[in-house]
Amino acid sequence: MQTEREHPTAEDLIYARWLDFFTRLGFAALVASFLIYTTGIISPAIPLAELPRYWGLPIAQYVAATGTPTGWGWVLHLGKSDLLNLVGVSILGSVTIVCYVRMLMHYLRVRERAFAAICIAQLLLLILAASGLLQPGR
Amino acid sequence: MRAADLLLLVVLAFPGAAWAADVPTMPWWIWPIALFAVTFVLGIVAILSGIGGGVLFVPFVGGFFPFHVDFVRGAALLLALSGALAASPALLRNGLASLRVTMPLALAGSVGSISGAMIGLALPAAVVNTTLGAVVLLIATYMMRAELSERPRGGLADAWSAALGLHGVFHDAAAGDKFDWNVHRTPAGLAAFGGIGLMGGMFGLGAGWANVPALNLLMGVPLKLAVGTSGLAISIINSAAAWVYIDRGAVLPVLAVPSILGIMVGARIGGRMLRTAHASTVRRLVLASLFVAGGRALAKGLGIWN
Repeated sequence: MQTEREHPTAEDLIYARWLDFFTRLGFAALVASFLIYTTGIISPAIPLAELPRYWGLPIAQYVAATGTPTGWGWVLHLGKSDLLNLVGVSILGSVTIVCYVRMLMHYLRVRERAFAAICIAQLLLLILAASGLLQPGR
Repeated sequence: MRAADLLLLVVLAFPGAAWAADVPTMPWWIWPIALFAVTFVLGIVAILSGIGGGVLFVPFVGGFFPFHVDFVRGAALLLALSGALAASPALLRNGLASLRVTMPLALAGSVGSISGAMIGLALPAAVVNTTLGAVVLLIATYMMRAELSERPRGGLADAWSAALGLHGVFHDAAAGDKFDWNVHRTPAGLAAFGGIGLMGGMFGLGAGWANVPALNLLMGVPLKLAVGTSGLAISIINSAAAWVYIDRGAVLPVLAVPSILGIMVGARIGGRMLRTAHASTVRRLVLASLFVAGGRALAKGLGIWN
């Protein structure tokens, strides 16, 4: 027999709280870095005025023409304001990872093994995607 | 804001962008401002309709703005992700999304979306635009014919659904209604989300256009819960595909950041409007936008209108 489950459930609320916090953090980082970028406080790797020459190129040609780092290479160039924007982007890309770690702890605590296994599989997949090991070619 | 006002904003915003695309001498700062205005509207529409911002963003921005489709798809995945991230806390707190239903489906969708992103970045732009245009037009035609159900007839829970506890009581505040629901056909739903994720990753589409019918018609989730759950699923599935684009260097801040900011602000407003919005008006608005955007992408891919 099914137990009655009305939303929001406790797990919905835990996930919502963590999601909200880290999304706001990513959003704040993104706004700050974009302001730094567009106001010219820190110089970018590619000057904004020159960017229209490159933004119509396919990604492989763009990377070759501008020397834009791929994978996690941008971390070594955070002194360039255009690449600084990737901090906020990466936080937004990582929000789900953080939330799933929190939910994994929750499901382990309440002994929901199936959902703990789903969390682990999803985390492995996201970490693989974020690792930079998956490099498509053209 | 009424849906009619949204329609007016869309109509005003897109011809402006099309005109601007023909003027290569425009200063760079015109583009972030135009992108913010367009994506603010998309953010509201995307959440109200549950289709995700990417399905509108890719054909419109790819068609009417000067950026290469590789960057447009990278930005689209990020903005669909951001819009979903921004709206999901409110959806969860208001009982309009189910984490329990989302998690297994998002896992299948993530496998598909990572594969799709790898394939999409390996294809030439003309092939991507042509296929994208055809897919968007098919989506619009399908959405015109599909009749979603506010309150699906309760089917029998399958073994997977029963084991995972995919059921509940839905309280529709707008209709003052409360009823039991349970998920059925879970394996078919998982397969559907895998396929939808593949297309989403390949074209940078948010994939809500397909998530909602899969949840509602195939799996028996009430419509409003399906819309919210689709948004939450997009926030997870698109994280996976977005990383493939980030790693490849396909994130152009001047394109992606104003788009993300616009969609996040729009999505917050859309999330609040969802409880009282008239689904039929939003649906007509989205269909019209899809036909315009899909036609433009197809024409660009075939070299008819560059």
